[in-house]
Amino acid sequence: MVENNQNPIDKASQQNLDEAVIKAPIKSKEKPVKRFFTSLLEFWAKHQTAISLAFLAIAILFPILFNQQYFLSIGVNVMLYATLSVSLNLITGFMGITSLSHAAFLGIGAYTAAILSTRLGANFPITFLAGAAMAGLFGLLLGLPSLRIKGRFLAIVTLGFGEIARMVELNWMSLTRGPQGISGIPKVSLFGWIMKTPAQKYYVILVILVLVVLAVAAIMNSRVGRAISAIRDDEVAAEAMGINVFGYKLMVFSISAAFAGLAGAFYAHYMSFIDPNAFSFAQSILILSVTIFGGMASIAGSIFGALTLLALPELLRFLIDYRLIIYGFVLVIMMVFQPNGLLGSFNLKHIKQQAMFRKSQERSES
Amino acid sequence: MAEKILWANNVSQHFGGLVAVDQVSMELNKGEIVGIIGPNGAGKTTFFNDITGMYDPTEGQVFYRGKDITGKKPYEVTELGITRTFQNIRLFDRMTVIENVMVGVHSRTKANIVDSLFRLKNHKETEKKAHEKALSVLELTGLADFRYNYATSLPYGSQRKLEIARALAAEPEILLLDEPGAGMNEMETSQLIAFIRELRDLGYTILIIEHDMRVIMNICDRIYVLDHGKLIAQGKPSEIQSNPDVIEAYLGKEH
Repeated sequence: MVENNQNPIDKASQQNLDEAVIKAPIKSKEKPVKRFFTSLLEFWAKHQTAISLAFLAIAILFPILFNQQYFLSIGVNVMLYATLSVSLNLITGFMGITSLSHAAFLGIGAYTAAILSTRLGANFPITFLAGAAMAGLFGLLLGLPSLRIKGRFLAIVTLGFGEIARMVELNWMSLTRGPQGISGIPKVSLFGWIMKTPAQKYYVILVILVLVVLAVAAIMNSRVGRAISAIRDDEVAAEAMGINVFGYKLMVFSISAAFAGLAGAFYAHYMSFIDPNAFSFAQSILILSVTIFGGMASIAGSIFGALTLLALPELLRFLIDYRLIIYGFVLVIMMVFQPNGLLGSFNLKHIKQQAMFRKSQERSES
Repeated sequence: MAEKILWANNVSQHFGGLVAVDQVSMELNKGEIVGIIGPNGAGKTTFFNDITGMYDPTEGQVFYRGKDITGKKPYEVTELGITRTFQNIRLFDRMTVIENVMVGVHSRTKANIVDSLFRLKNHKETEKKAHEKALSVLELTGLADFRYNYATSLPYGSQRKLEIARALAAEPEILLLDEPGAGMNEMETSQLIAFIRELRDLGYTILIIEHDMRVIMNICDRIYVLDHGKLIAQGKPSEIQSNPDVIEAYLGKEH
């Protein structure tokens, strides 16, 4: 006997489904787990500012609660990569251009800051601004010829640029001291006040991260942001709608590079020693992994991506030799079950708008 | 006397040895609905691309209000006041309906990245204008209730309408519609006919490529017929229907 004329569903899940339907007055046939995530996302979308501030508060309190060099250096690392990943997300996630040269811009910013501070005695804010400006300039110079090509071809060009930048760093002995690197880079000093404790360094990168996040969020919630999203979705239609596609690509590529340069300037001051090995192709891949793992076109995704990919290996240290196996396993599982990354498959702004619109319609009906 | 606003002068488009558009001249007067018809591969869309700057014509010029717009970039043509839709729907699929239309307002607003970073007055005015303009266009096209849905979640006919809405948001004087009725059912087609008439009454000048003869014969003031890239006939719908060259191009020669 066929008991129901629907597709065969096993009894347990049928029961769950029934319970869910009874509990919720809304006409919904979604699975309870899925509905739980939907309502969680809606909650997040509605209280985005408050939740972001709560996370910021945790980040501010972290050095007070865990005032040990080891924890703070993990924190700095996470935020450094979060900054890099958010800036890469601007071109790769939001605009759809895969770039493999982010480590090069990090390096250009770092070398600019290192050279200016060791040779000319410059410090904050000059080294940070110069690092960002120099990386932005190189972004512009790389973009001018290369942003006319697309997709994987462009990815190869950016890869080539990354290698060129590293080779220059390695061989221009008089400027970069080649493989010996530059040492003795002074710590960040704010108008004579030197940031020397780990907690102070931690707060410097926290401020940079917050500024970059605010800037990217402001860009994406504007006319420029809509143009960027339009370019990602359909370049031909974007151009037909009056958007100067090449001009926007160039501008956004350069801004993204400048943010990476800013992070590079911090890196130079933080490490007090830099050499070309820190800005290799592997570094670019790591930044791209954080962005993809966290989620394309998601700022929160980039931050959680950095938190997972950079803090997880430390948390797994007790597993000694097995930790990298676990780490790789997490990456594979993630890409199989959530190919859009942790937070890449939804848009909180849209979820909020949809929820509010639904509510206003229900109100007008009743 | 009709006011001539768009004028193509002997436009040709060659792709290597292939002549896709061959010495085509046409003109468009203010307030007209003009149709371009022809069998598949006649060069209709290529001609559209030549007008809108997607291609650079091999020969000939395009003038808009006395100004040579040949070889201008597509975004410049849109800024001047000529906006198009696409034969194969090209919506921004990860953006909502209203965001799609707000992209259309791009060329009519001016907030730059500095305005937006510091949330200056220009940014606020732009956002306000984009939102209001998009809502009014969506109300005109009857899509306002779906404004926060994703563009690709709309039914096919509505997606076509959204393409037109997005083009209208750019405040064009001339609207180029590339097969707006493709794939529509009977009811959607008659709605489309009424809608295009409404647009003409609102003051838009319309150049339309269409295969559906019901649409073309119903709404066009004049028709140009292309075949193998050449202009083979032009005139009023009644003249075109009885033109032997057109019948031959569509149905083949009698032996």
